[in-house]
Order: sequence, then C-alpha cells, then structure tokens
Amino acid sequence: MKELSKVRNFVYNCRKCGLCGNKVSAKVPYVCPVREHTEGFEHFYSKGKITIAQGLLEGQIVPSPELTEIIYSCSLCGNCLTQCGIIDQDSELPLTDPPQIVEAMRADLLREHPEWIAPAYHAMITSTSQYDNPWGLPRVTKERWAKGLSVPNIQEHPSDILLFTGCTIPSNPVLIPRAQKAVAILNKANVVFAILGKDEPCCGSVQRRVGAFDLAYEMRARNITTFNNLGVSTIVTLCAGCYHTLKVDYQKADIPLKPKVYHLVDFLSQLITQHKLVFTHTQNLKVSYHDPCHLGRHSGIFDPPRDILNALPGITLVERRATRENTICCGAGGGMRIFTNGTLAEKIGKASLEDAIAVGTQAVVTACPFCELNLTTAAGHSDYKISIYDILDLVHTALGIGQ
Amino acid sequence: MKKALNQKIYKALSEIVGENYIAATPLTTFAYFQDASIFGGTQAEMVVRPGSTEEVSKIVALANQHRIPLIVRGGGASIYGQPKGSPGSNLLIDMTRMNKVLTINPESFTVTTQCGIIMGKLQYECRKEGFYIFAPFAPLHIVSLGGWIAGAAGAAGLWRDIISLTIVLPDGTIVKTGGGPGTNIHQSLFYNRNLGGPDFTGLFIGDGGSFGIKTEATVRITKFPTVMRVSIFEFNELSKVLAMVKCHLERVDPHPFDPIMVFGPGAMKNFMPEFGEINSFIAQGIMQGHTEKEMDAKHEVFNALAVELGGTRTPMLDAMAEVMTSSTSGESGMEMDWLKLFNVLGLPAWLPFTLPREGFLDVYNKLIAWRNARLEEAHKRGFEYGGTWEFFTPSDSSTLIGEIDSFFKDAGNPEVVSFVQTMMRDFQEYAHQLGSIDVYNQGLMSNLHALYWPDGFKHLYTTIKASLDPNNILNPDLWTSQKHPGRRPRRKIKK
Repeated sequence: MKELSKVRNFVYNCRKCGLCGNKVSAKVPYVCPVREHTEGFEHFYSKGKITIAQGLLEGQIVPSPELTEIIYSCSLCGNCLTQCGIIDQDSELPLTDPPQIVEAMRADLLREHPEWIAPAYHAMITSTSQYDNPWGLPRVTKERWAKGLSVPNIQEHPSDILLFTGCTIPSNPVLIPRAQKAVAILNKANVVFAILGKDEPCCGSVQRRVGAFDLAYEMRARNITTFNNLGVSTIVTLCAGCYHTLKVDYQKADIPLKPKVYHLVDFLSQLITQHKLVFTHTQNLKVSYHDPCHLGRHSGIFDPPRDILNALPGITLVERRATRENTICCGAGGGMRIFTNGTLAEKIGKASLEDAIAVGTQAVVTACPFCELNLTTAAGHSDYKISIYDILDLVHTALGIGQ
Repeated sequence: MKKALNQKIYKALSEIVGENYIAATPLTTFAYFQDASIFGGTQAEMVVRPGSTEEVSKIVALANQHRIPLIVRGGGASIYGQPKGSPGSNLLIDMTRMNKVLTINPESFTVTTQCGIIMGKLQYECRKEGFYIFAPFAPLHIVSLGGWIAGAAGAAGLWRDIISLTIVLPDGTIVKTGGGPGTNIHQSLFYNRNLGGPDFTGLFIGDGGSFGIKTEATVRITKFPTVMRVSIFEFNELSKVLAMVKCHLERVDPHPFDPIMVFGPGAMKNFMPEFGEINSFIAQGIMQGHTEKEMDAKHEVFNALAVELGGTRTPMLDAMAEVMTSSTSGESGMEMDWLKLFNVLGLPAWLPFTLPREGFLDVYNKLIAWRNARLEEAHKRGFEYGGTWEFFTPSDSSTLIGEIDSFFKDAGNPEVVSFVQTMMRDFQEYAHQLGSIDVYNQGLMSNLHALYWPDGFKHLYTTIKASLDPNNILNPDLWTSQKHPGRRPRRKIKK
C-alpha cells in the first residue's frame, strides 16, 4: 500500500459525511454518476471507497480480487471533490481528494496484484511500452491523419507553437477529422505551428488514471525533456486529458515544463477576441455544452468554449441543470469504457444526453475525444434525437472552410 | 463469498429485493463500517437495499423468523456512531434506495415521501412546487428523513411537523400512524395526528429506530418564503442576547419564518472569514416571508427590539447581513454549506447541548469552562486544534439548542482520535448532569441517555420494546445502559 500511504492524510481528512454521494440541489441533480447508475451501494461512491482505503491502511481488511471492481468503478470525474470542497485556507489545496485516493489504490493493486487487473488495462500499458500509445497502433498512425495537409513537422520546420494531437484522436477514424479541422482553423487564422508527427509521445494521462504510476512518471520525465528541448514557447492540445496532464500533472515534476500549455478551445477563444477568425456561415442550432471533466472541473476552463459558441452565428447555447463545475461526467473517464465492458459508461452517457434533451437542445457539444466517443455511442444505442459535436465541427462550419 | 454465507438467508433476501440489491462480500460490506462519527461501527454480514415498504416488511419478517440482528442505515451521518448490533451476524438495511417523493399536497400543505430520501433532495422536490420543510438544524445534504426522525427530530424542530408515519414493526407488520386511510384517523385527507386516539406517531420519533423502521412519512410543508431580510447585532453580554432571544420568541414562536441564531465571541470568523474576527456575541435574525412590505415591517420590529435591548449594529455587520441575504444562505435557502465549514477545520469534537432557556446562562458558562479546560489539556499534550466555535438557537420557546465544538488537526493520529472520543463522551456525561438532554438518539448518545432514565420510564420502554420486538432484532444495542431490554438474538448468520 505504498501509494495509498502517500495519500494517507487525504483518507483521514475525509469526515465520511457522505455529501459526495448524497447531495441534491437546484444545480446538482446528483454527485456521483457511478452511484446513480449502479445498484447504489456505498462502495460505489467516494465515502465507501475511502472507508475501504482506511480499512486497508489500518489492516482491518485485506486486498482481494473484489477490490479491483470497487476501485475501477470510478470515472475519476472529481465531482465528489468539487461538492465536498474542503480546501486548506492557507495553501488553497484540497484537504481530501477522492480521485487521488482511488488512483493510489489502483497503483498499489497494479504493482502488488497485477493478476487481478482486467486484461484490457494491461493491454494499454503494454501498448504504451511498444508503441508509445495506449491503443495498440503503430507510431505512424500519429502522422497519417496529416497526409496531404502540408502540416510542417517541427523537427524539420522549427516553430514557436506545437500542435499536440494526443493518441486518441489520430487513432480513431471517427475522430481524425478533429485534427484535420484544427489544422484548417489554425491556418485560417494564419497561426504558424507545427506537429511532431510519428514522434509525438503519449502524454501518460491514461496510464496514470488506470494506476500505472511508474510508467506515467517515466513518460512525464522523458516528455518534459523532449518538449523543453524543442524550443517551443506554446503547446496547444486537442485532447482534454492531454491538456490536464501537461498543464497540471507535469507541473508537479522535479523539472518543470517550460512551454505554456493551452487547450485548443482556450487558444481559439483568444483568436476570436483578436478578430483573427471571422465567421461567415450561420448554423441554426440549439446546443448545450458538455464540460469535459479534465478541461472544466479539473482545469477551470469553463468560459472559453462558451465564448466560442456564443460567437458562432445561429448557435443558441442553453445550459443544463448541472453545468460548469457541477457537470455530470459523460461516463468515459478513469478507464470506465473498459469497466463492465463499457455498459456503465454508456448508461451514464445516456443520462447525460437526457439532461441535454430536458432543456430542449438539439445537440451536445464537447471538446474531448473521450466524451465525444462515449456520448456518440450512447446516442447510437438509443432513440434520442440528438447530435454530438466536437466544438471544432461547429467552428469549422461557421468559418465556411471547404464550402 | 456468497457461498460461505448462509445460502438460505441469501436466497430468501434475493427473492425479496433482487440479487442486485444485496452486498455480501467483505469489502462491499466494509464500506458501511463507518458513519460520520469517530466511534466506528460493525461490519455487517450482508447489506440489502430495499425499494419499498413491502420489501422492508418481508426482510424484517425474515430476520425476525431467523433472529438476525438488523441495523438500519439512512445517510450514515450519525456523529455518535451507528448501532453496532451483534457483531458478526448483522444484516444492514440501507434505506437510501427508498428516496422517492410520493405526493405533494398543496391543499393540505403536506408532503408524503419515502423515508430513505436525503433531506436536501426532499427540500429540492418541495421547493420545485413552491414549498419547503422547516428543518433548520439538519445537515440537509447528508441525512435521510428517516434517520432524522429516528435520531434527531425529537428535539430539533421537525417533530411538530411529522404528522404521519408508515412503520415496519420488528415482526414485519406494516402500520400507519397519524392521519389518513388505514390510520387511527381513518378518513381520507385528514392529517392531524392528535385526533382519533393516542398519538402513536410520537412513539417512533426519536426512538433511534428501535421500535420500528420508518419507511414513509407525511410531513407538514410551508409555502416557500421568497423574500428574506437578515439583521445582525452585536451584544457585549450574553444576558442581553438571551433577553433578545426571549423577546423575539414572544413575538414569533412557532417561528419557521423567523429563526434567530446566536454566535459566541470569535465564532463568526469560521462562518464568514472575509469579515475577520468579532469578539462579542452576535445575534442574527433571519426573517423570511412573502412580500417586501411584510419583510420591511418585520425587519423594523426586529431592529428596534435589538437596539432597545442593547444591541449594536455596525456597517460591517450590515455588510455581513447583506451577503447572507444575497447568497440565500438562510434556512429556506437550503444550500447550507456548513458542512464545508465543519470539514475544513479538522477532526470535530462535537459538543452539542440542548438546554432549557431558563437558567441557561449559568450552565452555558460552566460548559464553556469545561470545554476550555479540556482544550488546555490538549494543548499540553501537543494536540493542535484548528478552531472552536459556539452557537445556539431556540428549538422551541423554552429550549435552546447549540454547540461549543472544537476541531483538531492530525485526524490520522490515533491518540488525537482517542482524546476526541473521550472528550465527546465526557462532555455529554457532564452536560447531562447539568441538565442537558441532547438531540441525538444514536450510538453512544442513546446509551448515555438511557443511563439517566428513571425506573418508571425504563419499565415503559422495556415493556414496549419487548412487546414489539420480542427477539430484540432491531438495533439491539440501543438504549442499553441496563442489560439488554429484550432477549438477545439466538442465532447468528452461519458462515
């Protein structure tokens, strides 16, 4: 229990009051999507998980295979942390942090009892060692999407700005257009940038979330050296998970990451303010924005995507009951697409769509490939008449690119 | 693991609630080990999550037949420890799946709901219809209605508004009290528990859950007040604040729309740190109503009274009042973020009291002195505390309810935990001797209350308990200063 011991204070600073599983208010329909969409026993939400952590630390209980099911039934969305909200008044840091406790338990279990962990998680870790991405795809996948787009590679054409696509978008045919549209939008705004292509490393977000701490730390150290040596001043990410990892997790390393990190929504929002993007096409659509956990709750990026949507002609943005920091996770976080073969993730995704439909929206817009995929899957397995977009889709159309 | 347990019981429970709603593995049941207290609990052998009164009835009948001790859990928010039952053989009933509001009746001003509902959700559902429940002291987002009725409502304001209960008795019988078809007032639409015979509703309020399991309740609701004013005055003497409380109560009791709260010197900095420290007693009048005109009148009367009794109003206090008004953090605002305030400060040594208003000053000063002596001892032992506060408020015209809590750092230090446990236990012993009888009818506190029961009351309790629960299966360790009031369960769940 080496990693759990490191977050011991988080375990003991939790008062076990249960707000993390029970709060309901005008803006909080529920806190924990896992508790809400399972049979609801206490081990499904933070209070029960932390009670178990305390029991493990004190030797009252011992790890067993069922611990795997308990600690992987968490999307690490952090809504429990937001609603609990106990912050040290001096350091302004949380006094307890359920997602960190869960991640620590995953790390210990992976080290001490790897045989209990689902093969799919092991496959992600093995793939990372072999291909430097968690999805088992060859390295060239990361440059195939750019074929024919004349996107400069930073090693041949040094640039001040690195567009970091991440592993998920280039690996999935459904998501590849996001990267291509990002290039088109940046070109439209005359932004000079470059990519790393097949040499782009995995950021290590997925590995950390599933508990492969050693691997994630190794990747972080290597990547910081790589990024610092590139000589770029700015990294722009397409993926919310990559953004949070580079922006927040990398700051905890011994050697800090030098370039500034932006998510594309933040970057585009600034381009719009600077009048570098002019929208010419109207899309008559009533939409709600789904805040990805990594981008919103974990990183505080709430306004830029809304500013973008409000700037697009014909788009009407409607807020759902739970929005911004109270947003209910799409269901795909924390490796949940693997847990129960994705059925729970999909159930949570459907509930998210129902929330959007309840306020009369025709489409859900997000800015994270994991959210987009899970919500699209959920919509596809339902009768809901609602579309899922990445925000880049709407920006791309509004700019009239290719029309 | 399921195979190692008594398969017969497991199978029977599966047939009642469905297999998905039983947890019977060591880790899943351990998740229920602790409530919000530092007094720990007992690991149940199985946990079930029923969805209806009928399911609860069948579970209880089964447990009664096999003499399996039952622990009933709502939000798990007790601060004195959940019942420990009979370690090694408990069946824990998690009531929080029973969280549906059944009807809101705007004509009779009532809500009927399942009792596993968390009160924050209940308030939200009522508020959507333009109503709210008067439950000023409930930590709304963590306590269930059933837990509040059994564990705390007895002295905390809500008891007056509970007008009907559906109870599953320890043999599985379903009984409804207090108004409506099937009750002692067998008339549709009647909600008045005092008519038509003895008030059996009261029997189950504050019983700690030992007489029966509350599955549904009808509770009085009040039209949601949409206008609020807050007045804050400082007083340099406690006696003057008490005079203010008395005069206020003479005008407004019962006072669902006009609570008054008193804070001790320095306490407010914990609640509203942006305003710094105030070293005098603070009286907050929270006035709520339906029109601006009405509120202006109430505000004027309250302010005149406070000034007449020696209260002082300053621009800073007015600014504080303004913040409270605009943030709707009054009783009806229901968002009460007090939990964050508690939790940030550290490991709580809860020192709650309920005292008669008459003679309050003397006892209160003794309690404060006791608390301070214990803090001095903590200091000598090197235990750091993150803060203290004192506050009280009327729960009815004759009673003041409050707390003089302290919060300790280093919650992971077993010596600190042990010190706090002892401090809480000793305080209640001392407070009882001085005339306090606190609101919590749970764990440690229920046993302490029972220590002071006179023989006549013990006889009454024991007779009722033995009659309703001859096998003593329901929360068997509550109210047990005397030896167990009923017989011990004979059979454990076999492994």
